[in-house]
Order: sequence, then structure tokens, then C-alpha cells
Amino acid sequence: MRIAIDTGGTFTDCVYLKDGRIEVLKIRSTPQDPSLAVVQAVRQVSAGERAELRHGTTVGTNAMLERKGARVAFVTTAGFEDTIAIGRQTRQRLYDWFAPEPVCLVEKALRFGLAERVSAEGEVLRAPSKEELAELVEGLRTSGAEAVAISLLFSFVRPEHEQQAEDALSTLGIPVSASHRILPEFREYERGATTVVNAYLSPKMRNYLLGLESGVRTLHAENRVDVMQSSGGIVSARLAAREPVRTILSGPAGGVMGAMHVARLAGFERIIGFDMGGTSTDVFLADLTTGGAMRTNEAVVADVPVSVPMLDIHTAGAGGGSLARFDAGGLLRVGPESAGADPGPMCFGRGEQATVTDANLLLGRLDENSFLGGAVTLDVDRTRHKMDEQKGALATAEEFAAGIVSVVETAMEKAIRVISVERGYDPRDFTLVAFGGGGPLHACSMARALRIPRVLVPALPGALSAVGILLADVVRDYSRTVMLPGDALASAEVSFAKLEEQARTEFAAEGLNGKADRTVDVRYRRQGYELNVAFDAAHPEAAAAAFHALHQKRYGFSDTTKPIEIVNVRVRMTAKADAHEPVHDALRSEESPKNHGERKICFDGAFVQTQVYRRENLRAGMRVEGPAMVTEYTSATIVPPEWKADVDGFGNLVLMMKEGAK
Amino acid sequence: MKIDAIELAIFQSAVHSIAEEMGASLRRTALSPNIKERRDYSCAIFDGKARVIAMGDHMPVHLGSMPMSVEAAVAAMEMGPGDIAILNDPYAGGTHLPDITMVMPVFLPGAGKAAFYVANRAHHADVGGMYPGSMGPAQEITQEGIRIPPVRIVKGGVVDREKLDFLLANVRTPAEREGDLASQMGACRVGEQRALELAERFGAERLGALIDELLDYSERLVRAEMRAMPAGEFVAEDFLDDDGVTDEPLRICVALRFDPTAGAVEANFAGTCAQARGSVNAVRAITLSACYYVLRCLLGDGAPATAGILRPLTLKTEPGTLVDARPPAAVAGGNVETSQRIVDVLMRALAKAAPERVPAASAGTMSNLTIGGVDARTGEVFTYYETTAGGMGARPERNGPGLDGIDGVQTHMTNSLNTPIEALEYAYPFRMRRYGYRVGSGGKGKYMGGDGLVKEIELLCDADVTLLADRRKFRPWGLHGGEDGAAGRACALKTTGEEIELPGKCSVRLSKGDVVQLETPGGGASQVQGAR
Repeated sequence: MRIAIDTGGTFTDCVYLKDGRIEVLKIRSTPQDPSLAVVQAVRQVSAGERAELRHGTTVGTNAMLERKGARVAFVTTAGFEDTIAIGRQTRQRLYDWFAPEPVCLVEKALRFGLAERVSAEGEVLRAPSKEELAELVEGLRTSGAEAVAISLLFSFVRPEHEQQAEDALSTLGIPVSASHRILPEFREYERGATTVVNAYLSPKMRNYLLGLESGVRTLHAENRVDVMQSSGGIVSARLAAREPVRTILSGPAGGVMGAMHVARLAGFERIIGFDMGGTSTDVFLADLTTGGAMRTNEAVVADVPVSVPMLDIHTAGAGGGSLARFDAGGLLRVGPESAGADPGPMCFGRGEQATVTDANLLLGRLDENSFLGGAVTLDVDRTRHKMDEQKGALATAEEFAAGIVSVVETAMEKAIRVISVERGYDPRDFTLVAFGGGGPLHACSMARALRIPRVLVPALPGALSAVGILLADVVRDYSRTVMLPGDALASAEVSFAKLEEQARTEFAAEGLNGKADRTVDVRYRRQGYELNVAFDAAHPEAAAAAFHALHQKRYGFSDTTKPIEIVNVRVRMTAKADAHEPVHDALRSEESPKNHGERKICFDGAFVQTQVYRRENLRAGMRVEGPAMVTEYTSATIVPPEWKADVDGFGNLVLMMKEGAK
Repeated sequence: MKIDAIELAIFQSAVHSIAEEMGASLRRTALSPNIKERRDYSCAIFDGKARVIAMGDHMPVHLGSMPMSVEAAVAAMEMGPGDIAILNDPYAGGTHLPDITMVMPVFLPGAGKAAFYVANRAHHADVGGMYPGSMGPAQEITQEGIRIPPVRIVKGGVVDREKLDFLLANVRTPAEREGDLASQMGACRVGEQRALELAERFGAERLGALIDELLDYSERLVRAEMRAMPAGEFVAEDFLDDDGVTDEPLRICVALRFDPTAGAVEANFAGTCAQARGSVNAVRAITLSACYYVLRCLLGDGAPATAGILRPLTLKTEPGTLVDARPPAAVAGGNVETSQRIVDVLMRALAKAAPERVPAASAGTMSNLTIGGVDARTGEVFTYYETTAGGMGARPERNGPGLDGIDGVQTHMTNSLNTPIEALEYAYPFRMRRYGYRVGSGGKGKYMGGDGLVKEIELLCDADVTLLADRRKFRPWGLHGGEDGAAGRACALKTTGEEIELPGKCSVRLSKGDVVQLETPGGGASQVQGAR
């Protein structure tokens, strides 16, 4: 059976299919060794049966955030050892004279030069000698390095020297990452930094994934482990262990895939995902009519560029735990500092500074008794007292609370604008899929601010990442830099054929039957950035037309008379996951929902008597009229007075404005 | 109309993202490495009265001077919907000739008057003149390149082909310029579109109140800082090595007078030398940018860069001096070298008033390198331009330990990226031989100055090499007993083995196989060296 497990800070979510329905098991995470909880979940669910585990892990992300990766050595062309530290020679904060020194994952003593050089055209100008390679190995042996990253100038044009260094260094018995394998693209700093991240995570991820695999195999000898990549596709644990830089956003990528899945079933093709957690909020955009989720190869993770393609998940430093304060000019600021788990928000009993969660509580938007199923009781009196002390020039604690909510919603709104409006998408064409602990709480007001007409709160908002992982396809991306002039578009076919052959062979080796999608990266000659458009062998010229149109839309101009060039050809090989036919319950619209209670909730500055419902009591076809609140184990959905929520056949809440409401 | 703190925060963030988005559009569509790789540009949005309301986090040297571009364009012509003005004249809203600015009015539907202006400025790798790259040791502005007064380059959405052709006929790399200019026009349209959406969202009648409040808010932040300053006058001076024509040092002098009661400050540059024969003259807009930058640095993270920041400032400069040049003075270096020295002198004066808040001097030069010629491999003309970072000055103790200066990082008036070596060698007939830290160049002290950089570029064909750099004689100063950073240096390493030292400001013809070696200054240290 197939089981998907997503490790979170507090819970490890496990989902699997049983009689066509997705079942959920939530167990406490084991932060010291996350694999303990994973193995336990597999044991409980599989009960001795053979299991195919698919995993979303935060081991890589956490190692980056906490700077707990390996001691990495960096090998580059002699004369350029410092480039990994110099970066792009810019400062992060433009107006801060006291900014701390930027972090380089490679310490000074571990930067090595190799006497070699390849030209931009791929000509060998200087080859490393055997002695020089041996010297490099000796230098590294005594350096205390736990992993090594090799990135030589122009290795993506001609990788021979990198391969020689790789072979020589493999004798050391530490993981070796080579840039021509990880990211065969130009711009030495970004390629080098990405390769360093891979090396930095290698020992930890290798131990973790291989340990997990053997743990899972103690349950059943034929159990297998696959891992979610940041790009949204599944790879085997062995491959993931070799290229951990590709799984850095493993869990959040599951959220993207999960959101797309539920939206597609519910009949919505264009979505903006909104996952609000305790310290941060992840947002993304997916248009199923044009190939799904947006991707980027310019991501920055924990201040380090990571240029392998991944889902374009934009993170705002705003979450339930974000702290509120007034600055010197009297402006209310919220985040990015967070109360975290310790001391936590004031309402948990120990925090001293107001957070978003405290503000929500004071506005009646959280139920003090049913938080986490009643596991935590929220202290309303303490919160009101302290917020009153911190409210500054504002008249009441409630006004302060409303302000905090507005400001944090602005920060999240800005994040959504970055991935939508700023990229030429109109939010009015999208459905907001809200999940995570805070998503459903803030979704309707975000939707109103951005004029998003519809909000979808999935049936399992707390386990959506795991659902996405369970249902994800096996995907691998192949690319090659071709640098063809625009009039040679048709000749790209040769490169495509080669890439596809490689892809098919690799898939066949794993017993998979994949489907290839072809795209090309196009730009006007001499531009530095490309736009990715579909390529159809029958109509190669259509790619050029699509490029001009997209350039006009994104950047305000285009010129069909100007020469274009084809930079990369890309093949995305996909082996579909087994189709999941979910149970669709008949809509029984004659039934009205039964409320669980009533409470006063603040909407637009006034407290309104509001019906409270329990999610588990809602049935397909029921309608909840705002003002209302729908509570569940990990979350609560706020339905403002001018909104209504319908329960669809899959148990999702679909929220829309009432007719005539503005 | 009352605006609350929350709505204002929302507005600030919305308007700032317009400027950022214009920048992203420019970078993604430009052709020249200096714009697409190095991001040598600035974008800003202004209200209908040409007051800046947001600037992208791009190049601080443009902070004070962008508004003058808009003012100059508005004064020169009546712009209608879909029009775009272009200019580069330092004496009519520009800074130096390579910086070409475009200004576009934004009209709300049915309105007869512009509600906003959006503007972007990009540094072009050549605008004609006597030296390839237009950054050479000229002695009057007509030698520096084509001078564009504010003119309409786009009318009602249609490019004025005649003006564009006229312009392109006067530069060395017309195809690249045409592409970059198209990219700037596109960025204007992106800004226009977003400004219209902004107006629709907040409502035309609320916009005015929001803008006023945003400017007032910036002003309040600066006044709060000025109230915390000690009353009195704080005087400092610093020097540029020379103007590239004679060896005479050029003095820049400022008296900062704080008035804590009014929350105001006066910067008086009396005593600064007369404008120079060489190209290091700064127009007043640059001096204003330097003041603007220093004031902005005193504010916390997230403070908006608006016109309100300048309200508490009185700037006094004398026309015809190095910091307020008049025609026909040459100005290429005023924007990139003198601007840095003006910041240095302002910080030196500020350090007397608030010693714990000011770092030692950073590199103080952008070490501008321009190389032009004909690529022997393709027969195509090329012009390359790049600035190279140096060491940052050490940061003094302030409620806790100080900080060493950062090695090899852009400081103060610029924040342009380096050209990736692999992009450089694709685009130009060069081979990079070395790029690394210049170890030991940072000043020694309890808190060390940051090290500069060293770069070696081999020419693969004959070319004209122009250097515009400073801090050779007057090194980046230390503070509180910390030592000065090392002086900058440059050499031509000839194929014959000969090593020719290059002066700070020069243009020389070098041959295929020669190597240009550039070493940038280290930052000054803070406090006497000893046990930490």
C-alpha cells in the first residue's frame, strides 16, 4: 500500500488510501530523529503489509535554517577561491551601516583552487596535472572537510576537469558534489553556491534517508522509500540522498501538489495557495490550464541562492506567532520576529508581547476551549490585560488587535501580490486555497483585499501536504543549453530526441512509463533572462509567437522583427501516479447545518453574534451563512457576514460573497 | 481625511512594490550586462506634484536626483497619456551622461492631469563622446557623450523613431542601446499599469491624503533622529586625490548644524573647492542624494524613501564648486567618485556629533573600469563598464561590541552586482585571470576594516582601457585610533613582462594579451589594535 508522511514541527502527518477515501493518522513528531515517528506511522498503518512510503522531509530545510550542515570544502579554478564568499559583491540591506557579515557556508581554510581553465567556447586552456590533482586530494584529506563541492569555471560547457577532480576526491570517502551534475548552467556564483548547499546537506540527508529506508525495511523487506522534491515530483530515496539540494522544500512542495489536487477535483483550475503557519506563510500560484504551479530557478533559501528548479513558493515572515510593536515613527509593525514555540503567544500563558494569535483571540476569532482539540486552553483575560498595556495611542485593546490583523494581512497580501499581480496574473481569475493553521482564519479578508472571488478550504487542511505527496506523480526534469538562433527552432528536435531517449531509459530502469513534455527557454538575442514556452514539433514556429505574446504581457513590449534565441530545451518526464477516484458524496441540500454554539466575533470593528459549527458535523450540500465560524482540530474558518460557505461533495468548504454583497 | 497607521502601512508597501516591479522588468529584458547582470539602475514612483513616494532598493546615488528628472521633464513639455520623456543632461535633471532616465506620466481615466509619474534610470555602457564607455578623463561635458535634454521619445504610445535614430547614431553600440532603451520603456509601462491599479484600489480621493501622510511620516522619522542629535556645528573635510588633469587634491568641506529643538539639520558645503577641469564634478542633485542617503541610514529598517526625508534638511552649496557644478564642467566621475567622497565627509562630520553611530570610511571609490574596442573575433564594436567593490569601514562599539568591516562589498552610493565571469567572457573578448580578496588591505585596529578586491582581466584583442578611481593618496580613514585602509592601485601587465602602474584617472590603449590588474582600497579600522 502507498503511504505518504509529511514531517511537521509538532505533528507527523500520515495519509493513505482506504476504500477510495483518504485516511489520516497524526502522531507527535520526534524532532531529535524525525525518522522514529515516520517508521512508527508506517508500522501502524501498514500492519506488516508491503508499503511504498512517500516522504516529505524538513531535515534539509532545518539544517539550512539552523546552519547545522556539514563542514564543506569548495574546489574551484585557481585564482577564484574567494568567489564563493564574495557572491555578487552587494550588501543585503542598503541603508544599514551595522549589518552583520553575510554567511558563507564554506569557511576560509576550506576553499581550494585547482590549476585548470576552460574557455567560454569549451576549449581547454589549461588541464590539471596528475600531481596537482593528488595535491588537491592531500590538502582536503587534512582539512577536516566532511563534504566537498566542486565548481570549476565553464564546467557546464565542458565537464572533464570536474569529472577528473570528482574521481580523484572520491577516494576520500566523503560525499562529493559536482556542479555540472547539480546545475549545468552559467553564472558561476549561483552554480557554485547551489553545489555547496548540496554538499552541505549531503552527509545529514544521506544518513537520514538511508537510515529511514533501512528502518522501514525492518517492517517488510520489500518496502520502498521515495521522497518529495522541491519541484513537486517524487524521486527515489537513493537519488534524493545524492542530490539533497532538490528536496530542500520537500514539505511545502507537498502542500502545492495537495492544493492543486483538491482544487482540480473541486473544479477550480486557477488557484493561489495560502498556507499560514506559526512563524511564516507560504504562498504560490498554479494555473492548471497552462501547466500547473509556477516554478523558479532563482530561489533563495536561508540567505543562500539555490538555483535548481523548484516550485515558486514565496514565503512571508508573517504567521500566528509574529510579534507586534510600534516603531519610532508610530507605525504599527508585525513580524518578522516571532514568539515561536517558546515563549509562544501571550494567550498560551508565558509570552509578554502581542502576537497575531493573541489578536485573533481578542477579536473572538479563536475558540479558547477547542484550540488543538482542547489540548491547550487560551487565556483571554491575560491577553486582554497585556494588549491593553501595549496598545500605544490606540483607544482599546480590540482596536490594537484589529490593527495587528490588518498589518499581518497586508504582509501576506504583499506576498500574494508578488506571485500574482507582479507576474501579470489577475487575482480575480483565481480561487484562494487556504490551509495550515492560520490560512482559513484569514482567507476571506485576504480574498476581499485582493478581489479573489472564491476561497476553498480543503477537507483536510492540516494534512494537505501529505495528501499532495500521496498523489504526486514521479517527475524528473531534463535540460540542455543549446543557444540556437530563432530561425533554427525546428532543429531543436534533435536535442529533444536525445533528452527524451535519456529520460525514457532512466524511467524504464525503474519500471516506469513516462510521458514527455517539451518546452523551450526563449529570449531576444543578448537578453539575460528567458521565458519558458511550450514546444510542439509539428509547429515549432508557434513557440516564437508564444514568446512574443508572453513578453508583451509581462514586460510591456515585444518586437517580432527582433532576433530571438533558444537558450535551453527542456523535457519534463512524468509518470502519473495511480489515479485516485475520490468518493463524491451526494449533495443533500435540504439539510441545514446544526450549530455547536454561538460567540461574539469582531467583523470590521464591531462584535457580532456569530454561529459556531464543527467541521465534522457538516455534510455535503450544506450551506453555512456568514457570519459564522467553522472549527476543527487544527484550524478554524471564519465566514464574514457578507460571505457564505458551501460544503461540496468532497467535504471542502467553498466560500463566496453573498449575492449583492460588496 | 484621517489616515490610520494601518492603512498607511498598506499603502507604503503597495507603492514600494511598484518600484521593485519596474526594476525586475528592466533587468529581465535589458541587453547589456551592466543592466541585466549588474542591475545598475533605479526605479521610482512620484505623485502628481513630482514628489517621490517610493524608490526601489536599487542605487542610493539616484535618491535625490531622480525627482529632478521628473521636474525637468515636466518643466520641458506637456506630457499626455502614453507619452514618455527621455533625458540624460546633468544640467537638466540628470547626473552624468551614461545614466539615461525615462519619465512617464500616469493619467487616471478621464483625468486631464497626471496623478503619478513613474521613472527609471539605467546606466548605459556607452553614450558616445571621446572615450569608449563615456567615462574617460574629459574636460568638458561635450566631450563626454551625447547630451539629451528632456524630450518626448514616445508620444501617445508610439516611439518617435526619428529622435531614437538620432540618438543611436551618436553612440558606439547602437543595437545594444536600442534594446536597453526598449526595456526602459517597457518598465515605464509596467509602472503605469500598476499605478493605475493602485489608484483604482485606494480611490482617487483617498490617494492625496495617503501620499501626504506617507511623506509626513518619513519627515517625522527624520525629525525624531535630529532631536536626538547634540546641538551645534560639526565640521569635517576630505579630499579627492586629483581630477585626472592636474595632481592637485580637491577639497570637500561640510559643516553640519543640528537644531534638536526644531528637529532640523543644515549641511553647508562652504569651503569646498571650485569645480575642476577634469570629470569629477558633481551636480547639486548628487550632493543632495548623498545627504538623503546619510539621513536614510539613520532611520530603522523599512522606513520609506520619500521626499519627506529631505524636509528637515537645508542644503547649502555654492554654484560653480565641486559639489554644485555648472556647465560646461565634465561630470562623469561626479556621480561615481565625488558622490562617495561627499558621503565620506558627511559621515566624518556626523561621527563628531554621534561617534557610536558612524563606521570608519569604506573604499570611497567605485573603481570604474571601462573597456572598449572592436572584438577581433566577430568584428563587432563592444563597450564594457563595471564598478568593483572595496572594503567596508569597521563599525564602532555601540551598546556592545563593534563589527569588522565586510570584505569586498559595495558601500554607500552604489549596490551594483558584479558581472559573472561566465557572463563576462560570453559577452566580451576578455579572460578573467583572477578575482579574489585583496588580503591585508583592510585597516588594522580593534575592529578591522574590510579587505578590498583584486581582479585581473586579460584582453583578447587591442582595446581602450579607461580607469576612473580614487583613494590613491587619501586613504579610507580609520576612526577612534583605527588605521586607514590600503590605497587603491591598478597596473597594466604587458605581454612583454613590463608592469605599468596606471594613475587613478586615465585612458590607455592596451594590446591583445595584456592584463589589467585592479586592486580596490580596503576599509578603515575602528579603535586601536589590541586584545579584543
